[in-house]
Amino acid sequence: MEIDEHIGCAMSGLTADARTLVEHGRVETQNHRFSYNEPMSVESTTQALCDLALRFGEGDEESMSRPFGVSLLIAGHDDNGPCLYHTDPSGTFWQCNAKAIGSGSEGADTALQEHYDLNMTLEEAETLALSTLKQVMEEKVTSSNVDIAKVAPTYHLYTPQEVEAVIQRL
Amino acid sequence: MSMMFAPRLTEAAAPTTHAAPTWSPYDNNGGTCVAIAGEDYCVIAADTRMSTGFSILTRNYSKIHQITDKSVLASSGFQADIRALQKNLDARHQIYQHQHSKQMSCPAMAQLLSNTLYYKRFFPYYAFNVLGGLDSEGKGCVYTYDAVGSYERSGYSSQGTGMQLIMPVLDNQLKSASPLVLPLRQSTTPLSEVEAVDLVKDTFASAAERDIYTGDGVEIVIVNRDGIRHELMDLKRD
Repeated sequence: MEIDEHIGCAMSGLTADARTLVEHGRVETQNHRFSYNEPMSVESTTQALCDLALRFGEGDEESMSRPFGVSLLIAGHDDNGPCLYHTDPSGTFWQCNAKAIGSGSEGADTALQEHYDLNMTLEEAETLALSTLKQVMEEKVTSSNVDIAKVAPTYHLYTPQEVEAVIQRL
Repeated sequence: MSMMFAPRLTEAAAPTTHAAPTWSPYDNNGGTCVAIAGEDYCVIAADTRMSTGFSILTRNYSKIHQITDKSVLASSGFQADIRALQKNLDARHQIYQHQHSKQMSCPAMAQLLSNTLYYKRFFPYYAFNVLGGLDSEGKGCVYTYDAVGSYERSGYSSQGTGMQLIMPVLDNQLKSASPLVLPLRQSTTPLSEVEAVDLVKDTFASAAERDIYTGDGVEIVIVNRDGIRHELMDLKRD
């Protein structure tokens, strides 16, 4: 989902909880633009989401009685270039070059570790991401059961046609 | 009985009258501020006289405040409000640095100042501000404000009691294209840093002749890639 023009995120876990976090992220980034007339850095945005996760919500009335059951991958582009952060329900976040989350994440992480290279092109990255997904998915990868989004340098969710084009390259 | 409930046709509603106010929360301490943006520098200047009514409170008061390494605020008006505004901005900047691990850029500070002023829209800071500094690309920028936060980036500006004497001179010497004209043209002046400082000194010397609230001295701050430099020049003390 898109958080701001320059930041997107992917979720795994209780996706309903993720909506609250994404909404909070959207509000925080827009507040930042209003106050400072500049895009919010990806790290600060990630920190804002983790602050919420830590408190189980905001304030007395809106806070939950349980942690947010969702991990996020926050991808964005700011003054430091493109970057990726991984968050979990504890409110901790790590910066990564490549990461997989969810049920098939262990196998996928290993595959990423083998094939990832810092100087990959966008096309190579698309192919790597989708082929890694293919490895851990039980069904066949089609344009209707996978989503791809990129932040390069703005957020863009691929159309089914664009996804199909990547699938063809696998 | 019926008279008690009869509408009063002839008596007009008595208007409430307020006694003429004897106390004002505001005072004008006078003075003038100027800023000029260059290709890779920014000059911010203000006189050092602080007055009240027809009296001088001090000949040696700074209206200039450095907020970040690259932004300098000059304000004329009610100095108590201005001091509070400066402290407010400093605090906000500290928080920003803690949260984002970097200093605020000048355009970000400009927006923050605007929001801070508008926050007190119904009991304003009596401050007429000019914010100067370098933007993220290292080019000079000047932002000029009204008391409630309306702001605009331009190549030069002046505010305060001497504004109307100085502004036409700057317009004549530095005339830059309106930001409304397309294609958007550079608003910074082609003058060199030394020429801009000389121009500022001349304008203050002229303003001090006729504006009774401007005089005693002018403090000039120059921001460029090497850092921030201060100069002081004497003005007429009458």
